[in-house]
Amino acid sequence: MAIQIELIPSTVFSGKEQDEKVRFILNMVRRDKILVLEATLSPVEEKLLIEKTMDHVTKDFPGIEIASFGEEAVDLKSKLVRFLGGRMSGFTVVGPSNLVKEVKRDPDKLSLWAAHK
Amino acid sequence: MFFNLSHLIFRAKQGGVALLHGAVQFIQDIPWIFYIPEKMQMPIGNFIKWFNALFNGFFKKKKTFSLGLYGNPNVGKTSIANRISLDWTGTEVGVVSEIPHETRTVQKKERISLRVDGREITMNLLDMPGIATKVDYRDFLKYGLSQAESQQRAKEATKGIVEAIKWLDNVDVALVVMDATQDPYTQVNITILGNLEARSIPIIIVANKIDLKKAKPEKIREAFPQHEVVEISALTGENIEKLYKTIAYNT
Ligand SMILES: Nc1nc2c(ncn2[C@@H]2O[C@H](COP(=O)(O)OP(=O)(O)O)[C@@H](O)[C@H]2O)c(=O)[nH]1
Ligand SMILES: [Mg+2]
Repeated sequence: MAIQIELIPSTVFSGKEQDEKVRFILNMVRRDKILVLEATLSPVEEKLLIEKTMDHVTKDFPGIEIASFGEEAVDLKSKLVRFLGGRMSGFTVVGPSNLVKEVKRDPDKLSLWAAHK
Repeated sequence: MFFNLSHLIFRAKQGGVALLHGAVQFIQDIPWIFYIPEKMQMPIGNFIKWFNALFNGFFKKKKTFSLGLYGNPNVGKTSIANRISLDWTGTEVGVVSEIPHETRTVQKKERISLRVDGREITMNLLDMPGIATKVDYRDFLKYGLSQAESQQRAKEATKGIVEAIKWLDNVDVALVVMDATQDPYTQVNITILGNLEARSIPIIIVANKIDLKKAKPEKIREAFPQHEVVEISALTGENIEKLYKTIAYNT
Protein backbone atom coordinates (compact mmCIF):
# COMPACT_ATOMS: atom_id res chain seq x y z
CA MET A 1 0.00 0.00 0.00
CA ALA A 2 1.27 3.46 -0.86
CA ILE A 3 1.44 6.29 1.63
CA GLN A 4 -0.80 9.22 0.82
CA ILE A 5 0.28 12.76 1.58
CA GLU A 6 -2.10 15.69 1.23
CA LEU A 7 -1.05 19.32 1.04
CA ILE A 8 -3.74 21.61 2.44
CA PRO A 9 -3.53 25.29 1.56
CA SER A 10 -4.28 27.83 4.26
CA THR A 11 -7.45 28.95 2.46
CA VAL A 12 -9.10 25.66 3.46
CA PHE A 13 -8.66 26.64 7.10
CA SER A 14 -9.37 30.32 7.04
CA GLY A 15 -12.66 31.17 8.66
CA LYS A 16 -13.03 27.70 10.21
CA GLU A 17 -13.82 27.34 13.90
CA GLN A 18 -11.30 25.58 16.17
CA ASP A 19 -13.53 22.52 16.50
CA GLU A 20 -13.98 22.31 12.75
CA LYS A 21 -10.23 22.49 12.10
CA VAL A 22 -9.52 19.76 14.61
CA ARG A 23 -12.29 17.54 13.25
CA PHE A 24 -11.03 18.07 9.71
CA ILE A 25 -7.47 17.04 10.65
CA LEU A 26 -8.55 14.05 12.67
CA ASN A 27 -10.91 12.75 10.00
CA MET A 28 -8.13 12.76 7.43
CA VAL A 29 -5.48 11.33 9.72
CA ARG A 30 -7.74 8.52 10.86
CA ARG A 31 -8.08 7.55 7.21
CA ASP A 32 -4.31 7.00 7.07
CA LYS A 33 -3.44 10.27 5.40
CA ILE A 34 -0.44 12.39 6.20
CA LEU A 35 -1.24 16.09 6.05
CA VAL A 36 0.95 19.06 5.40
CA LEU A 37 -1.05 22.13 6.37
CA GLU A 38 -0.11 25.59 5.26
CA ALA A 39 -0.93 26.89 8.73
CA THR A 40 0.16 26.63 12.31
CA LEU A 41 -2.29 25.71 15.05
CA SER A 42 -2.83 27.87 18.09
CA PRO A 43 -1.96 26.35 21.48
CA VAL A 44 -5.66 25.90 22.20
CA GLU A 45 -6.17 24.09 18.88
CA GLU A 46 -3.17 21.86 19.58
CA LYS A 47 -4.61 21.02 22.98
CA LEU A 48 -8.00 20.27 21.47
CA LEU A 49 -6.41 18.07 18.82
CA ILE A 50 -4.59 15.97 21.43
CA GLU A 51 -7.79 15.65 23.50
CA LYS A 52 -9.90 14.57 20.53
CA THR A 53 -7.17 12.20 19.37
CA MET A 54 -7.22 10.50 22.77
CA ASP A 55 -10.99 10.01 22.46
CA HIS A 56 -10.39 8.08 19.23
CA VAL A 57 -7.44 5.90 20.23
CA THR A 58 -7.94 2.21 19.44
CA LYS A 59 -5.65 -0.78 18.87
CA ASP A 60 -5.37 0.20 15.21
CA PHE A 61 -5.20 3.94 15.69
CA PRO A 62 -2.74 4.65 18.52
CA GLY A 63 -2.67 8.39 17.88
CA ILE A 64 -0.82 11.03 15.92
CA GLU A 65 2.58 12.50 15.29
CA ILE A 66 2.56 16.23 14.80
CA ALA A 67 5.04 19.04 14.44
CA SER A 68 4.73 22.56 13.20
CA PHE A 69 7.19 24.93 11.83
CA GLY A 70 7.11 28.62 11.26
CA GLU A 71 7.11 31.90 12.99
CA GLU A 72 7.21 31.19 16.68
CA ALA A 73 5.01 33.29 18.90
CA VAL A 74 7.76 33.56 21.48
CA ASP A 75 8.61 37.21 21.37
CA LEU A 76 6.07 39.75 22.45
CA LYS A 77 5.59 41.24 19.01
CA SER A 78 4.48 37.98 17.40
CA LYS A 79 2.43 37.15 20.46
CA LEU A 80 0.63 40.41 19.96
CA VAL A 81 0.13 39.64 16.25
CA ARG A 82 -1.31 36.26 17.16
CA PHE A 83 -3.44 37.73 19.92
CA LEU A 84 -4.90 40.30 17.54
CA GLY A 85 -5.84 37.50 15.15
CA GLY A 86 -3.03 38.06 12.68
CA ARG A 87 -1.96 35.10 10.59
CA MET A 88 1.23 33.35 11.60
CA SER A 89 2.99 31.95 8.59
CA GLY A 90 4.25 28.41 8.76
CA PHE A 91 3.13 24.85 8.25
CA THR A 92 2.20 21.79 10.22
CA VAL A 93 2.84 18.14 9.51
CA VAL A 94 0.44 15.69 11.09
CA GLY A 95 -0.17 12.01 10.48
CA PRO A 96 -1.24 8.77 12.15
CA SER A 97 1.52 7.47 14.42
CA ASN A 98 1.32 3.99 12.88
CA LEU A 99 2.53 5.51 9.59
CA VAL A 100 4.58 8.44 10.78
CA LYS A 101 7.39 7.13 12.93
CA GLU A 102 8.81 10.48 13.79
CA VAL A 103 8.60 14.13 12.88
CA LYS A 104 11.64 16.02 13.98
CA ARG A 105 12.11 19.73 13.93
CA ASP A 106 15.38 21.55 13.95
CA PRO A 107 16.06 25.25 13.42
CA ASP A 108 15.61 25.20 9.66
CA LYS A 109 13.60 22.18 8.65
CA LEU A 110 11.05 19.52 9.52
CA SER A 111 11.91 15.90 8.74
CA LEU A 112 9.36 13.14 8.58
CA TRP A 113 9.97 9.41 8.70
CA ALA A 114 7.08 7.37 7.33
CA ALA A 115 6.76 3.58 7.02
CA HIS A 116 4.21 0.82 7.13
CA LYS A 117 3.87 -1.21 10.29
CA MET B 1 15.69 52.19 30.28
CA PHE B 2 18.10 49.69 31.69
CA PHE B 3 20.00 52.45 33.43
CA ASN B 4 16.83 53.64 35.15
CA LEU B 5 15.97 50.13 36.14
CA SER B 6 19.29 49.51 37.83
CA HIS B 7 18.57 52.63 39.81
CA LEU B 8 15.24 51.17 40.80
CA ILE B 9 16.90 47.99 41.95
CA PHE B 10 19.35 50.03 43.94
CA ARG B 11 16.46 51.95 45.50
CA ALA B 12 14.81 48.67 46.38
CA LYS B 13 17.85 47.64 48.35
CA GLN B 14 17.73 50.98 50.10
CA GLY B 15 14.20 50.22 51.21
CA GLY B 16 12.09 52.32 48.82
CA VAL B 17 9.67 49.47 48.63
CA ALA B 18 6.23 51.04 48.33
CA LEU B 19 7.41 53.63 45.87
CA LEU B 20 9.16 51.03 43.80
CA HIS B 21 6.14 48.79 43.75
CA GLY B 22 4.18 51.63 42.25
CA ALA B 23 6.85 52.07 39.61
CA VAL B 24 6.90 48.38 38.79
CA GLN B 25 3.14 48.34 38.53
CA PHE B 26 3.45 51.26 36.15
CA ILE B 27 6.01 49.42 34.01
CA GLN B 28 3.64 46.47 33.84
CA ASP B 29 0.61 48.54 32.94
CA ILE B 30 2.01 50.58 30.08
CA PRO B 31 2.81 48.85 26.80
CA TRP B 32 6.53 48.90 27.47
CA ILE B 33 7.11 46.20 24.88
CA PHE B 34 7.40 48.98 22.36
CA TYR B 35 10.53 50.55 23.66
CA ILE B 36 12.39 47.90 25.58
CA PRO B 37 14.81 45.99 23.34
CA GLU B 38 13.97 42.35 23.01
CA LYS B 39 17.07 41.16 24.83
CA MET B 40 16.01 43.12 27.88
CA GLN B 41 12.46 41.82 28.09
CA MET B 42 13.26 38.64 29.91
CA PRO B 43 15.48 40.12 32.62
CA ILE B 44 12.93 42.84 33.24
CA GLY B 45 10.10 40.31 33.30
CA ASN B 46 12.03 38.25 35.84
CA PHE B 47 12.76 41.30 37.89
CA ILE B 48 9.09 42.23 37.97
CA LYS B 49 8.14 38.69 39.00
CA TRP B 50 10.83 38.63 41.65
CA PHE B 51 9.85 42.01 42.94
CA ASN B 52 6.14 41.22 43.08
CA ALA B 53 6.94 38.02 44.95
CA LEU B 54 8.94 40.01 47.45
CA PHE B 55 6.32 42.70 47.76
CA ASN B 56 3.43 40.29 48.11
CA GLY B 57 5.44 38.40 50.68
CA PHE B 58 5.65 41.55 52.77
CA PHE B 59 2.19 42.91 52.46
CA LYS B 60 -0.30 40.28 51.38
CA LYS B 61 -1.83 37.38 53.22
CA LYS B 62 -0.52 34.09 51.94
CA LYS B 63 -3.07 31.95 50.23
CA THR B 64 -2.89 28.39 49.09
CA PHE B 65 -2.10 27.89 45.43
CA SER B 66 -2.02 24.84 43.23
CA LEU B 67 1.18 23.65 41.61
CA GLY B 68 0.82 21.25 38.66
CA LEU B 69 3.54 18.95 37.35
CA TYR B 70 3.36 18.68 33.57
CA GLY B 71 5.31 16.95 30.85
CA ASN B 72 5.75 13.92 28.62
CA PRO B 73 5.42 10.48 30.22
CA ASN B 74 8.47 9.17 32.12
CA VAL B 75 10.29 12.46 32.53
CA GLY B 76 10.16 12.12 36.34
CA LYS B 77 7.09 14.09 37.39
CA THR B 78 6.05 11.65 40.09
CA SER B 79 9.65 11.31 41.31
CA ILE B 80 9.74 15.09 41.78
CA ALA B 81 6.29 15.17 43.42
CA ASN B 82 7.41 12.45 45.83
CA ARG B 83 10.62 14.25 46.69
CA ILE B 84 8.82 17.54 47.38
CA SER B 85 6.18 15.78 49.44
CA LEU B 86 8.68 13.62 51.35
CA ASP B 87 10.85 16.63 52.15
CA TRP B 88 7.97 18.70 53.55
CA THR B 89 5.35 16.20 54.78
CA GLY B 90 7.16 12.90 55.15
CA THR B 91 4.84 10.98 52.83
CA GLU B 92 4.82 10.22 49.11
CA VAL B 93 2.33 11.16 46.42
CA GLY B 94 2.37 8.38 43.85
CA VAL B 95 4.04 5.40 42.26
CA VAL B 96 7.20 5.81 40.17
CA SER B 97 7.77 3.36 37.35
CA GLU B 98 9.98 2.84 34.34
CA ILE B 99 6.82 1.81 32.46
CA PRO B 100 5.24 4.87 30.81
CA HIS B 101 1.79 6.05 31.96
CA GLU B 102 2.12 4.78 35.52
CA THR B 103 0.22 7.89 36.67
CA ARG B 104 -3.16 7.75 34.94
CA THR B 105 -5.28 9.96 37.16
CA VAL B 106 -4.35 13.29 38.75
CA GLN B 107 -2.70 12.67 42.14
CA LYS B 108 -3.29 15.41 44.70
CA LYS B 109 -1.40 16.22 47.83
CA GLU B 110 -3.02 19.07 49.68
CA ARG B 111 -1.52 21.80 51.84
CA ILE B 112 2.19 21.23 51.60
CA SER B 113 4.00 24.03 53.43
CA LEU B 114 7.46 25.05 52.24
CA ARG B 115 9.71 27.36 54.20
CA VAL B 116 12.35 29.09 52.10
CA ASP B 117 14.42 32.11 53.14
CA GLY B 118 11.93 32.96 55.88
CA ARG B 119 8.99 32.84 53.49
CA GLU B 120 6.34 30.24 54.11
CA ILE B 121 4.18 29.14 51.22
CA THR B 122 1.42 26.56 51.20
CA MET B 123 0.47 24.70 48.07
CA ASN B 124 -1.63 21.89 46.73
CA LEU B 125 0.56 19.64 44.66
CA LEU B 126 -0.96 18.07 41.55
CA ASP B 127 0.96 15.25 39.91
CA MET B 128 -0.43 14.95 36.40
CA PRO B 129 -0.54 12.00 34.05
CA GLY B 130 2.07 12.44 31.30
CA ILE B 131 0.72 13.99 28.11
CA ALA B 132 1.31 12.24 24.78
CA THR B 133 -0.06 12.48 21.23
CA LYS B 134 -0.26 8.68 20.98
CA VAL B 135 -0.74 5.70 23.27
CA ASP B 136 0.19 2.36 21.70
CA TYR B 137 -0.65 -0.62 23.90
CA ARG B 138 2.11 -2.61 22.18
CA ASP B 139 4.66 -0.39 23.90
CA PHE B 140 3.67 -1.93 27.24
CA LEU B 141 4.08 -5.54 26.11
CA LYS B 142 7.86 -5.26 26.21
CA TYR B 143 7.70 -4.52 29.94
CA GLY B 144 6.11 -7.94 30.48
CA LEU B 145 2.49 -6.80 30.73
CA SER B 146 -0.08 -9.14 29.20
CA GLN B 147 -2.10 -8.22 26.13
CA ALA B 148 -5.16 -7.47 28.28
CA GLU B 149 -3.21 -5.50 30.89
CA SER B 150 -1.53 -3.48 28.16
CA GLN B 151 -4.81 -2.62 26.48
CA GLN B 152 -6.37 -1.66 29.79
CA ARG B 153 -3.39 0.52 30.64
CA ALA B 154 -3.57 2.22 27.22
CA LYS B 155 -7.24 2.96 27.69
CA GLU B 156 -6.69 4.47 31.13
CA ALA B 157 -3.69 6.42 29.81
CA THR B 158 -5.80 8.14 27.13
CA LYS B 159 -8.30 9.20 29.82
CA GLY B 160 -5.45 10.45 32.01
CA ILE B 161 -4.09 12.58 29.18
CA VAL B 162 -7.50 14.21 28.68
CA GLU B 163 -7.74 14.87 32.43
CA ALA B 164 -4.28 16.45 32.55
CA ILE B 165 -5.13 18.67 29.57
CA LYS B 166 -8.37 19.81 31.19
CA TRP B 167 -6.42 20.81 34.31
CA LEU B 168 -4.10 23.04 32.27
CA ASP B 169 -6.48 25.96 32.76
CA ASN B 170 -6.76 25.48 36.50
CA VAL B 171 -3.30 25.39 38.01
CA ASP B 172 -1.79 28.53 39.53
CA VAL B 173 1.83 27.59 38.82
CA ALA B 174 3.21 24.90 36.53
CA LEU B 175 6.40 22.89 36.75
CA VAL B 176 7.00 21.71 33.21
CA VAL B 177 9.28 18.73 33.60
CA MET B 178 11.63 17.57 30.85
CA ASP B 179 14.08 14.68 30.70
CA ALA B 180 17.45 16.35 30.10
CA THR B 181 18.67 13.33 28.13
CA GLN B 182 15.89 13.75 25.53
CA ASP B 183 15.16 16.23 22.74
CA PRO B 184 13.18 18.98 24.51
CA TYR B 185 11.45 20.17 21.36
CA THR B 186 8.48 17.79 21.54
CA GLN B 187 5.01 18.76 20.41
CA VAL B 188 3.79 18.00 23.92
CA ASN B 189 6.20 20.48 25.51
CA ILE B 190 5.34 23.12 22.93
CA THR B 191 1.60 22.62 23.43
CA ILE B 192 1.84 22.66 27.23
CA LEU B 193 3.99 25.80 27.29
CA GLY B 194 1.85 27.54 24.65
CA ASN B 195 -1.32 27.01 26.64
CA LEU B 196 0.19 28.06 29.96
CA GLU B 197 1.70 31.15 28.33
CA ALA B 198 -1.63 32.06 26.74
CA ARG B 199 -3.17 32.07 30.21
CA SER B 200 -0.22 33.82 31.85
CA ILE B 201 0.27 30.97 34.30
CA PRO B 202 3.78 31.17 35.84
CA ILE B 203 6.04 28.48 34.43
CA ILE B 204 9.16 26.86 35.84
CA ILE B 205 10.88 24.41 33.52
CA VAL B 206 12.56 21.55 35.38
CA ALA B 207 15.43 19.87 33.54
CA ASN B 208 15.40 16.51 35.33
CA LYS B 209 17.78 13.52 35.36
CA ILE B 210 20.97 15.61 35.34
CA ASP B 211 22.66 12.73 37.21
CA LEU B 212 22.81 10.87 33.90
CA LYS B 213 25.92 11.27 31.74
CA LYS B 214 23.87 11.86 28.59
CA ALA B 215 22.00 14.78 30.17
CA LYS B 216 22.18 18.04 28.20
CA PRO B 217 20.16 20.57 30.19
CA GLU B 218 21.65 23.38 28.08
CA LYS B 219 19.57 22.08 25.14
CA ILE B 220 16.45 22.83 27.19
CA ARG B 221 17.67 26.36 27.91
CA GLU B 222 18.35 26.90 24.21
CA ALA B 223 14.93 25.59 23.20
CA PHE B 224 12.95 27.74 25.66
CA PRO B 225 15.05 30.83 26.41
CA GLN B 226 11.99 32.78 27.57
CA HIS B 227 11.57 30.60 30.65
CA GLU B 228 13.40 29.93 33.86
CA VAL B 229 15.05 26.50 33.83
CA VAL B 230 16.07 24.67 37.01
CA GLU B 231 18.36 21.66 36.56
CA ILE B 232 17.81 18.88 39.07
CA SER B 233 17.98 15.18 39.69
CA ALA B 234 14.88 13.85 41.39
CA LEU B 235 16.79 10.62 41.92
CA THR B 236 19.79 12.01 43.83
CA GLY B 237 18.14 15.21 45.08
CA GLU B 238 20.83 17.34 43.44
CA ASN B 239 19.83 21.03 43.27
CA ILE B 240 16.39 20.43 44.78
CA GLU B 241 16.89 23.42 47.13
CA LYS B 242 17.22 25.62 44.06
CA LEU B 243 13.84 24.33 42.88
CA TYR B 244 12.21 25.19 46.24
CA LYS B 245 13.66 28.69 46.05
CA THR B 246 12.41 29.15 42.52
CA ILE B 247 8.93 27.98 43.51
CA ALA B 248 8.91 30.32 46.50
CA TYR B 249 9.89 33.35 44.42
CA ASN B 250 7.50 32.61 41.58
CA THR B 251 4.35 32.40 43.64
N1 LIG C 1 18.49 8.65 36.49
C1 LIG C 1 17.35 9.25 36.86
N2 LIG C 1 16.17 8.61 36.70
C2 LIG C 1 15.04 9.23 37.08
C3 LIG C 1 15.05 10.54 37.64
N3 LIG C 1 13.77 10.90 37.91
C4 LIG C 1 12.99 9.85 37.53
N4 LIG C 1 13.75 8.83 37.04
C5 LIG C 1 13.28 7.53 36.51
O1 LIG C 1 12.45 7.78 35.36
C6 LIG C 1 11.38 6.84 35.33
C7 LIG C 1 10.06 7.58 35.31
O2 LIG C 1 9.87 8.26 36.54
P1 LIG C 1 8.46 8.79 37.01
O3 LIG C 1 8.67 9.66 38.18
O4 LIG C 1 7.50 7.67 37.17
O5 LIG C 1 8.05 9.66 35.72
P2 LIG C 1 6.63 10.32 35.33
O6 LIG C 1 6.00 9.39 34.35
O7 LIG C 1 7.00 11.62 34.68
O8 LIG C 1 5.84 10.50 36.58
C8 LIG C 1 11.54 5.95 36.54
O9 LIG C 1 12.22 4.78 36.14
C9 LIG C 1 12.39 6.79 37.49
O10 LIG C 1 13.17 6.01 38.37
C10 LIG C 1 16.32 11.21 37.81
O11 LIG C 1 16.46 12.34 38.28
N5 LIG C 1 17.43 10.50 37.39
MG1 LIG D 1 3.97 9.80 37.00
